[in-house]
Amino acid sequence: MSVTVNLGTGLRRFTNGKTAATVEGNTVGQCLDELVKQFPKIKPRLFDRKGKLRNYIDIYVNKESARPEGLAKPLMDGDEIHITLIIAGG
Amino acid sequence: MLTKDEQEKYARQIMLKGFGLTGQEKLKEARVFIAGAGGLGSSSATYLAAAGVGTLRIVDHDKVELSNLNRQVLHWHEDIGKRKVSSARDKLKHLNPQVAVEAIEEKITQANISQLVAGCDLIVDAMDNLPARYLLNKTAIKNNIPFFHGAVYGFEGRAMTVIPGKTACLRCVYRGDVPEETFPVIGVTPAVIGCIQATEVIKYLAGMGQLLANRLLVYDGLNMKFTEFKVKKDPNCPHCGKPAKGKK
Repeated sequence: MSVTVNLGTGLRRFTNGKTAATVEGNTVGQCLDELVKQFPKIKPRLFDRKGKLRNYIDIYVNKESARPEGLAKPLMDGDEIHITLIIAGG
Repeated sequence: MLTKDEQEKYARQIMLKGFGLTGQEKLKEARVFIAGAGGLGSSSATYLAAAGVGTLRIVDHDKVELSNLNRQVLHWHEDIGKRKVSSARDKLKHLNPQVAVEAIEEKITQANISQLVAGCDLIVDAMDNLPARYLLNKTAIKNNIPFFHGAVYGFEGRAMTVIPGKTACLRCVYRGDVPEETFPVIGVTPAVIGCIQATEVIKYLAGMGQLLANRLLVYDGLNMKFTEFKVKKDPNCPHCGKPAKGKK
């Protein structure tokens, strides 16, 4: 499955400023693993040492929350993922 | 009841279809709680005062610093060292003397939040940290007060409207935390998001349009894109979910 991963502004410094990447994967988790292969520096921003998605990261598939399945959520060809980081400034 | 002077001042919005004299009177009768007199608070309070919201209760415990002035446009160079709420009140009263401004210099805490929001019709979230936002969200749910969320970082901003008991709340959407930090920001970002919050408040009070409810709006100023994400009320939400209501 070919999937577009859109990257929130807080992640683009790990992707040379790229706002999106195309990856192959059948689930959200597989697509994120592929993203990490393309941009290894993004890994610690997305996952903790145990490989768990950090709690300030929110994943949306086709602009709807990936919860409750999260990383296990299955994808279709052409789906779009958005990865966003919680922001709190005012 | 609007005075003749008020009818003239607000004539251009009174002529809006669906707004009219009734909408203006609703704004005049409202008491809006603005949590924070920083970047978001500056822009939202300015436009709510200009629109004729009757009472603005602004709460902030900080004093004006030089590094605030790139974005907190209610505070000017001459205000450095003054209390932010006093500086904000003075500017808003000059902008619109008919608006009552309740300036409260206090840090918002678990202990005082219920007292601070008492008597207010809605809450504008103009804070600069997540724990305070969660506290406001929880209080809004508990007291059945609509909550207008906004946040910024750099060129990015977000906004969402929460109607307790009906829509997703902030805790349905955000699970985690982010460390308190000196965050980068350019002044136009809170200007955009604060104006979106003020727009939502005006619509809510006047009973017009479609609110940003169950929708998280993300603004990317660098690429000038607005993206809207659908969000849902979480039945297990620690703030608005029934089974665990009352927990943090």
